[in-house]
Amino acid sequence: MIASLMMSGAISVISINNPGYPKLLREIKNPPPNLFYKGVWQNDLFDNCLGVVGSRRMSTYGRRVARKLITEIVARGITVVSGFMYGIDAAAHQACLDGGGKTVAVMPCGIEMIHPADQGDLYRRILDTGGLVLSEYEGVFPPLAWTYVKRNRIVAGLSRAVLVVEAEINSGSLVTARLAKGYGRKVLAVPGEITSETSRGTLGLIRQGARMVCSAEDVLDALGLQGLGLGVEVGVEVEMRSGAEVGLSAEEPVCDGDSGQESLETKIYKTLKPEPLDIEELAEKVGGDFTSISASLMMLILRGNVAEEGGKYYAN
Amino acid sequence: MWLRKGESIMLIKIQSAATYGIGTVGVSVEVNVASRGFPGFDIVGLPHKSVAESRERVKTAIQNSGIEFPSGKKIIVNLAPADLPKEGSFYDLPIAIGIISLVKNITIPKASLFFGELSLDGGLRHTKGALLLSIFAKESGFSSLYVPRDSANEAAVVPEVNVYALDDLRQLVSHLERSGRREVGNGLVKHESPADSFGSDLYGRGLVVGNSVSGGVDFSEILGQEQAKRALEIAAAGRHNIILIGSPGVGKSMLAGAFTSILPPLDREESLEVTKIYSASGFVPPGGSLIRVRPFRSPHHTVSYAGLIGGGAVPKPGEVSLAHRGVLFLDEFSEFNRAALESMRQPMEAGEITVSRGKGSVTFPSRFTLLAASNPCPCGYLNHTKMRCRCTPAQVEKYRRKLSGPILDRIDLQVGVRSVETGELSFGGEAEKRVLESSEAVRERVWAADRIQKERLKNSGIFSNSEMTNKLIKIFCPLSKDAELLLRRAGERFDLSARSYFKVIKVARTIADLAAVSDVLVGSGTPVSAEDVRAFLKKENIIQVNHVAEALQYRF
Repeated sequence: MIASLMMSGAISVISINNPGYPKLLREIKNPPPNLFYKGVWQNDLFDNCLGVVGSRRMSTYGRRVARKLITEIVARGITVVSGFMYGIDAAAHQACLDGGGKTVAVMPCGIEMIHPADQGDLYRRILDTGGLVLSEYEGVFPPLAWTYVKRNRIVAGLSRAVLVVEAEINSGSLVTARLAKGYGRKVLAVPGEITSETSRGTLGLIRQGARMVCSAEDVLDALGLQGLGLGVEVGVEVEMRSGAEVGLSAEEPVCDGDSGQESLETKIYKTLKPEPLDIEELAEKVGGDFTSISASLMMLILRGNVAEEGGKYYAN
Repeated sequence: MWLRKGESIMLIKIQSAATYGIGTVGVSVEVNVASRGFPGFDIVGLPHKSVAESRERVKTAIQNSGIEFPSGKKIIVNLAPADLPKEGSFYDLPIAIGIISLVKNITIPKASLFFGELSLDGGLRHTKGALLLSIFAKESGFSSLYVPRDSANEAAVVPEVNVYALDDLRQLVSHLERSGRREVGNGLVKHESPADSFGSDLYGRGLVVGNSVSGGVDFSEILGQEQAKRALEIAAAGRHNIILIGSPGVGKSMLAGAFTSILPPLDREESLEVTKIYSASGFVPPGGSLIRVRPFRSPHHTVSYAGLIGGGAVPKPGEVSLAHRGVLFLDEFSEFNRAALESMRQPMEAGEITVSRGKGSVTFPSRFTLLAASNPCPCGYLNHTKMRCRCTPAQVEKYRRKLSGPILDRIDLQVGVRSVETGELSFGGEAEKRVLESSEAVRERVWAADRIQKERLKNSGIFSNSEMTNKLIKIFCPLSKDAELLLRRAGERFDLSARSYFKVIKVARTIADLAAVSDVLVGSGTPVSAEDVRAFLKKENIIQVNHVAEALQYRF
């Protein structure tokens, strides 16, 4: 038996003849005749859907990018649609919820199951925050190789644009992107390192003409929405917080004695700015006493200037 | 006694001792040679198989030494007390000397203990337990101890006992014959143990006890891995248990091998404790004496519950006791049997383990530092720079849960070991250019921090920061205002449990002690004296914000 969990709870169904059936989904070649769902159906949930798909084996970069882009755009009333798989899918749902948005999860299995079973917390959170869980399958229909692919057409069909964060070649994410293109939806892709396996698919999409996404602005632009109203690129905005301001915020617990010199914390921050490093690489580049670097790094983390993920340190 | 003409009964008692666990019980070997009765040679008094076989060895050894064996007589050997099980081959010598003394009418000197296994040619062989016997001799008022030459160094550790080293049976017989006639120059002099030169420079390099993985690695041989090395230093200084997490091949075992090299040397008392355990287990090599290096044990993950904590019909020390005063290295920590790991809880807390079996219960000491190593996920390559992890988040989560448990609660430090770029490893690479600190330099700091702790905690019944209870933490770990603020913020940010919170403080205490050592004590250029330590402790030794910040790097 596939490791999935049976869920009890109110299950509803909406047929294609119902006027509330999502308009965009109805337009596709083979829309599901019935959509089973959990949660409270609100028609406006489907006004501005962004499909976010990507690799199950996301890299830390993928997770950070998904998180950054999505948390910045959900305030504009965008619904994130994804497939509830672990990896980018789950990160997208999560980021959407953390940003205060609503999200729609399209399941590859019967509506009464949670798949993957260990993401029960996320499942409940999606429903608690006014989101929806959808499936075209009834009951405890198991997730099978072909149901994932069929599910992808719903994700693409619901969305005005599909954002591919990370994808390997020949992956399901690329299937979703292809379907979206066929339905006349916009396909967006996040560029990655050319050496990374999980970037091959996305870079390929960009080469084929997908829109390259470098900031939340780009996503909003693709959806025909106005910018964030900050008048600056997101990347630049982060830049402004760097440098001398680091370590001088009001909530700093300790004061660096030698204000004339560049503090160790500033040095660390500047070193991490161009690329994430692990602590050994960082100590190598910054030089000097390891214990001080270690302690300063923790200060930066606690102040929110630096984040640690997967053993690497990122300047925020 | 009623004897017919021409008949004789001869009886003699020779003193020896039986070891039980690391304790010893006096055993009197009674040998009776009677001309009446059916000829034979029997040993009674609950002999183990190894003792029962002694008959053939004794008989052959006596004959091969050119001494007549009373084959036509009825020989009964009784090992008293008769209800105590006797194990081991060292009863050979007392039995043989008993028989010979009756045959040749030799007087056995008073207050003497005999111990040793015989070879068929009459030579004497090393067996386990010489030190235990020697300690028993001292405590029970025996002045002389006759042991095989290979065991003499071990036995002579106790200076109060006259230890005589024997090569073979003939040598002993001639010695006893002459001393009976008060002749001078009987050829046997009191054996002096080389261990009297205690305090010489032996820290574990090249000389390893037990099944060391690496034979002693120096810190300066490890390129990169600054964080792991620093964590090991903290662990060594405060006797904190530590877990290294990293992919296969990143050097976890090498780091573990270097760990003993930064531990302070065993003092005489500790050394005796360790040697007693090793003597009881038969792990002191022939010619070996006091063990002066900290034990490093690395049992395989298939080790049984009994192998880990001790067991057997006659209880034998397990790995936790063999690692006493040293390091217990559990590689592939998550692969260990859960029940076996759980059984380590009590010995880790109490510093000793009582093994109860049908034939009685024995208590072994078990005060060790736990050094665990584990992969980050089932495939081992989570967050690896080059390799790709093939595990699903669910698998990783399941693996993490497997790691956690009651033993993890006793581990204060967690450190991720990352792969070092091979470019850096090659000669002339980046890492090569830096001057790497040697184990000796690190050990100096560790040792000084150790003395600070002992002095600070001397009235608390514990020796190291890792052993502090929450109550003692409140007394001995004052935090500066900033440090407290930082800790509170970290608590919110990282969602620290109360237990992790106290662990961080304990580790911060050790970091502060190490900092004090570098700044005040070692920095002065003179060795750390007891006055230095006391003077330091009189000053305020508040844990500063940078100490807490560093400690947080090793949190769970």
